[in-house]
Amino acid sequence: MSARLALILIAASALLIPAFAGPFWVFVAIEVVVFALYAVTFNLLFGFGGMLPFGHAAFFGLGAYAVAVLVKKAAWHPLLALGAAPFVCAAAAAFVALFCVRLTGIYLGMLSFSFQMLLYTVIFKWYSLTGGDDGLSGLGIPGLLGTPAALYYLSLAVVTVSLLFLWRLAHSPFGKALQAAKSNAQKSAAIGINVALHRGITFVVAGAFAGLAGALFALANQSVFPGWLNWTASAVPIVMTVLGGMHSFVGPIIGSAVYVVLQTVLTGYTEYWALILGALVIGIVMLMPEGIMGYFRG
Amino acid sequence: MDFIPSLEWITNPTVLARQFMAGLSNGALLFLVAAGLSLIFGVSRIINFAHGAVYMLGAYFAWTVVGAASRSPLAFAAAIVFATLASFVFGVLFEMLFLRRIYRSEQAFQLLVTFALVLILGDAVRLIWGREENSGLVPAGLEGAVRIFGVVMPTYRIFLIAVGALVCITLWRVLYRSRIGVLIRAATVDRDMLKALGVRTDRIFTLVFGLGCGLAGLAGGLSVPIVSVGPGLHSQVLIEAFAVVVIGGMGSFPGALVGAFLLGQANAFGVLAAPALAIVLPFLVMTLVLMFRPLGLFGRPD
Repeated sequence: MSARLALILIAASALLIPAFAGPFWVFVAIEVVVFALYAVTFNLLFGFGGMLPFGHAAFFGLGAYAVAVLVKKAAWHPLLALGAAPFVCAAAAAFVALFCVRLTGIYLGMLSFSFQMLLYTVIFKWYSLTGGDDGLSGLGIPGLLGTPAALYYLSLAVVTVSLLFLWRLAHSPFGKALQAAKSNAQKSAAIGINVALHRGITFVVAGAFAGLAGALFALANQSVFPGWLNWTASAVPIVMTVLGGMHSFVGPIIGSAVYVVLQTVLTGYTEYWALILGALVIGIVMLMPEGIMGYFRG
Repeated sequence: MDFIPSLEWITNPTVLARQFMAGLSNGALLFLVAAGLSLIFGVSRIINFAHGAVYMLGAYFAWTVVGAASRSPLAFAAAIVFATLASFVFGVLFEMLFLRRIYRSEQAFQLLVTFALVLILGDAVRLIWGREENSGLVPAGLEGAVRIFGVVMPTYRIFLIAVGALVCITLWRVLYRSRIGVLIRAATVDRDMLKALGVRTDRIFTLVFGLGCGLAGLAGGLSVPIVSVGPGLHSQVLIEAFAVVVIGGMGSFPGALVGAFLLGQANAFGVLAAPALAIVLPFLVMTLVLMFRPLGLFGRPD
């Protein structure tokens, strides 16, 4: 089967989901689409940029809370808030990037983790603005756009456009320079690549689109919760990326679909989903470290 | 948020001494957890996200031995010893079965394996011990309060400080005055060179991971009389231990000690000065340290 045919089939089935599935599975499909974008932004940093942030959920959560606060506290239209969220996250990511890009390895990961926990604690404690532990709810889009099918098509459209942009970026000269900097920062600097600038821009782009994913998820859920940016949440895009295959642009998208569907099905049977996920993660790391994409490539 | 500090207590010596001692006892427990985390990182370059979960496991181990109603000092001592040893064995097994296969792999894999352990242990304690929050009693002989430096302090808190100091001195003697300590410290500086010199570094890795887990288990066991032992116990401890290790310098033993002391005091006095700010403070300090001095107080570059 050629790649083109596969793409057409995937696009057609993605478009037809609301026609065949009930609201529950439409919501699952929204989750797959949104987390696909989220996981790809992580892999842009990790697989392409060689940066491993332990706290990427900070931007997903910030995007979600940006929408929630703008809608609930400033009475913005949800779609306007959706448009604003990535800019809020880009600004936050730019600030973090100023310090992150100079660090390497574990220190970069820890600073990202630390920033996430700072944000989490502030959101958790700032009850009057964020609703604290309860989160904020009642974020529905008014009118026809608020139905599950419409929310799905909105998410699908936004995510598709975002993924096309990120794909172009990853395969542009900028993306090549970024990958060069990943494999050898010193050599790249010697041939004139501004390593810190490339990493910084990638960090901002990844933060902005992770925020967009979070904002979409907030609208689909009609609510936000502080758990979305707790430290355990940051493992989700990492698991998706490694599950799907980190040395491929498509890997995290497949990882998101497998993860979300597996979670949905398994939580219907058992309350010990985390136990199964943990065993699965150890199994993948030990037995198929290149993920699903790597497995099929042989 | 109420970020306006109140400082009228600052001239009251009784309050100052009380908070200082409270901070010291919290710092002692934090030190036990953070020292293990830091040792493991120093030797294997693995950030053990499951360290809080092992602490929680230690608490459950101890609680299983001592139960909810016993005040017997003997049962308590047995519980602490069991929690420490069982956590040590758990750490050794986990290292030998899983971690040792991925020391040379992508950092993301190491992160994911320790994170998977968090997920597994979180559900395992629910399966084995249920969802309830359990509590233990302070053993006979350590209940009540004593007057020290003119302040009335719960005896158990003084006991924690003593245990922390004892473990600290023992660890220091092992690390700086014994052959195995020399090897461990050498492994944190250059493990490849150590291996080239003929040392069985794989055994050192196993031992250190076990030791770190044993320390976390000990801290968990000691916490049974003062915390509620439930499935959510691991999170807060892990985050605070991270903050300690970052502030002190990752991989540094003196760093863990000074970091735990500072964070213990910051928590104790922060609660008085500005409660809302106190909760943010550890992460704020941790973030600032990573921004401006990533190696912390005592860290060494690789």
